[in-house]
Amino acid sequence: MKDVYYPDIALIDTVRDETGDVKTLRMRFKNPDTQKNLSYRSGQFFEVSIFGIGEMPISITSTPSRKAFFELSVKNVGLVSAALHRLPTGSEVGIRGPFGNGFPYEEVFGKNLLFVGGGIGLAPLRSLINNVLDNRDNFGKVIILYGARTPGDLVFKDEFKWWESQPDVTMLLTVDRGDEKWTGNVGVVTTLFPRAGIMSKNAVAFVCGPPVMIPFVIRDLLELGFTDDTIISTLERHMKCGVGKCGHCCIGHKYVCIDGPVFTYHEMKVMTE
Amino acid sequence: MSRYEENLWIITRDNLFALMEVFIKTREVIAPVRGHGGEVIFYPIETIEDVAWDWQYVNAVLPPKRFFLPQTEVMFEYRHDNSYKITPHYDDQVRMIFGIRPCDVNALIFLDRFFGGGSLSKESTDEEPLFPDSHYIKRRANTFIIAFGCHQPGENCFCVCCDAGPFLEEDYDLQLTSMNADYVVEVGSARGLKIIYGNEHFFRKASSDEVKELERIKEGALNTFADTCAYVSKAIRRITEGKVDDSLWEELAERCLDCGGCSYVCPTCCCYNIVDIALSDKSGIRTRTWDSCAFAGFTRIAGGEILRSDKKDRLKRRFFHKLSYRYIEKNKRHGCVGCGRCITTCFADISMPSVIEAVRRQ
Repeated sequence: MKDVYYPDIALIDTVRDETGDVKTLRMRFKNPDTQKNLSYRSGQFFEVSIFGIGEMPISITSTPSRKAFFELSVKNVGLVSAALHRLPTGSEVGIRGPFGNGFPYEEVFGKNLLFVGGGIGLAPLRSLINNVLDNRDNFGKVIILYGARTPGDLVFKDEFKWWESQPDVTMLLTVDRGDEKWTGNVGVVTTLFPRAGIMSKNAVAFVCGPPVMIPFVIRDLLELGFTDDTIISTLERHMKCGVGKCGHCCIGHKYVCIDGPVFTYHEMKVMTE
Repeated sequence: MSRYEENLWIITRDNLFALMEVFIKTREVIAPVRGHGGEVIFYPIETIEDVAWDWQYVNAVLPPKRFFLPQTEVMFEYRHDNSYKITPHYDDQVRMIFGIRPCDVNALIFLDRFFGGGSLSKESTDEEPLFPDSHYIKRRANTFIIAFGCHQPGENCFCVCCDAGPFLEEDYDLQLTSMNADYVVEVGSARGLKIIYGNEHFFRKASSDEVKELERIKEGALNTFADTCAYVSKAIRRITEGKVDDSLWEELAERCLDCGGCSYVCPTCCCYNIVDIALSDKSGIRTRTWDSCAFAGFTRIAGGEILRSDKKDRLKRRFFHKLSYRYIEKNKRHGCVGCGRCITTCFADISMPSVIEAVRRQ
């Protein structure tokens, strides 16, 4: 019987600074077979261990369409994430998973996709965006709307050019507060909606960001004609076990770690805390 | 009734004592023991003299949960020399729990389904679990269950309202019931039958009169229960449908002391936290410890926000988990076995029966 609590060892190959407090760690499993056999869905997460400090759930930000490695983007907010930020390349960490349901993928073949991200919330979306763009023919129009507090808080800036250059992709950025170099949009992410050319027909919206952002985005999406079932988001909980046992992530009768973290707005609406 | 075999057996008290001495030599035997303060607790025994017998107690103050899910348990140890080496810790101790009451056995069956995906005392499980918990499953598989049927309830018992007693119908190894000076023995599993056949000289087959007498004892025991807490299904329906007004939880929250005692004494509560302990720069252990949804920190997320910071939401959560039909569907029973320990423990009178009664009155 596989021990679901037993972590595999992974190595940190490269560390990229996204912002002042977000790093992207590119990793691979130490055992080449484990890496080779790794399969995951965009939207799933790993439980990441820094032995002696603890374990935390982190969504996978790399795309399953690129197989030699996986990537995790980590904001420095707590004990384990701070420890992860201190690790040099070559360090070993423990990995359990992948866990969770992940975003619908095959289910949205042929559809127009709208991605709305805020801050570090772009991390799980980035996995799906790259997976979609690596398999461009399977999907319709792609719109990416992304906002952060300041230009310095935008993550994955290196990839924006590539995303924009892909066929039939609209990409718009915004910040809450600009700086002297910023010439783009200033305002919350919903201020991008009127000029993004959003069509709700045959479309699905993926929304990830800080809790304060979500209700406003959903309100505007519903006005644009999206429905409870075509708005998809993720819920944040501290999933300690990842396997539906420890109880920390329960909402209503759902375990965010196995029934989520991806839910439709319809599913979220009927949940009772 | 679904006994493993239709035969009932009789064992005299002397023979039971002698048989238990044999077991004590070959495995760890956990039995009800009277502590220095007078309470009965489950504890490993060294001699049969230590046992508090079925006529001397109704139930132990704590369920024997800790022998399956210890309050703190080491999941693995790690060591870093040039690379990390992880050594899982499993508890392979062969155990017998002697004198466990039917409510606590039913709680174990609940935990079996939750941690193992099916009833672990049966040869095959109902379904393949998505993520089997090997630590729990190993302990459970290595533990033999000798239950004591209950002749009469304790003052806080309500197992009859929870389909969890006062006698077991399935999912035990052996069930003993006092009859005159002897015990009548029901066999509930293949390994139970193996114990009988392996120690046949201690047992004799029950006569047809004794079979009838056992049925009379069981009927009589049922009749000694007061008609308490008979509104479980009403609470289940109202809580499932979200028809309980928040004012009920607000009222309870004013009294709740946030102590988590309800979870710790509950035989079906099994939420846990995972904590690393560094023992040196290079080595340490990962542990899991009991946790409780009553604690504010239970839903703390990165950055420090607490999602159920309001006490009323935590109480609502606890009783939703115990009673909602959504969970009954998953766990095949509601999350209470009527042991009454929350009644005994809670300083604020927030127990399963008091909540069910409050829901009924609302």
